[in-house]
Amino acid sequence: MNWNGFLFGASAALALIGALFAVGLKNIFHNILGFALALVGVAGLFLTLGSDFLAIVLLLVYVGALGIAMVYAVMLSQPLDAPRARRSRAKIAGAALLAAAVAAALWLALRGARFPPPAGSLEVTPQMTGYRLLTDYVLAFELISVLLVVAMIGAVMVARKDRGAARRPGGAP
Amino acid sequence: MSWLHWYLVVAVLLFCIGLYGLVQRRSLIGMLIALELMLAAVSLNVVAITSLSGGQSSVGQVVAIILIGVAAAEGAVALSLFVAIQREVQSINVENLSELKG
Repeated sequence: MNWNGFLFGASAALALIGALFAVGLKNIFHNILGFALALVGVAGLFLTLGSDFLAIVLLLVYVGALGIAMVYAVMLSQPLDAPRARRSRAKIAGAALLAAAVAAALWLALRGARFPPPAGSLEVTPQMTGYRLLTDYVLAFELISVLLVVAMIGAVMVARKDRGAARRPGGAP
Repeated sequence: MSWLHWYLVVAVLLFCIGLYGLVQRRSLIGMLIALELMLAAVSLNVVAITSLSGGQSSVGQVVAIILIGVAAAEGAVALSLFVAIQREVQSINVENLSELKG
C-alpha cells in the first residue's frame, strides 16, 4: 500500500461517510455538513487521479459556494424547531430497495467491463485543460458562461420579495 | 480489480446513496443535497475513466468543469425557488406542495 493507495482509501471513506451523513441525519444543518465532508472526499479522489486543479475547483464551488447558499436557504426557509414529518417505514424501505437495485445493476455492468490501459501519463496540467477549454470546447465554455449569468439573474428575480406585486398591481388576478 | 474499478465502485456507491436520499427525503433542500451528491459521483466517474483508461485526460477535466458549472447554476436557481416556495406556502416539505393535484 503506497501513499496514493492510502490517500484513495481515506478519501473514499470520507466521501461515503459524508454522503451517508448527508442523506441519513435528521437535522438539515448536519446534512449540509455531511455534504461538505463528502465533497472534500471527492476532491481527495480527484487529487489521487492527478487532477489538482479540478479538486480545488470542486472545493471552491461545492463546499464554498453551494454549501453557504444552502445554509442561507435553510435560514430563510425552514424553522429548525418546526415539527418534522414522520416518514413511513415502507417508503424508506422502498427507497432503500430502489437504491440497492440500481447499485446491483451498475455493479453487474461494471464487473464485466474491460477498460483499455491508460495511453499517456496521469498528470494533467491546468495549462492543458485551459488550452482545450479555449480551443476545442470553446462553445461549451461560452454556453456555460451564459448559463451561469442567466441562472444568477433568474435566481435573483425568483427570490425577490415583491415578485407577485409587480405582475398584478392592486392584487387583482 | 484494477484501480479504475475501485474508483467506479466508489462512484456507484455515492450515486446510489444520493438516489436513496432523493427518493426518501421530503425536505426540498435535502433532496437538492442528494441530487448534488449524484452529480459529484458522475463527475468522479468521468474523471476516473478518462484519466485511467486510454483517451486524453484533459477532455475529462473539461467535461467535469462544465458539470460543476451546471451543478452550480442549478443549485442557485433551486435554492432561490425554495425561498420563493417557502414565502408562498410557508413550507418546503414536498408533501405540502400539492396545489396542482386536482
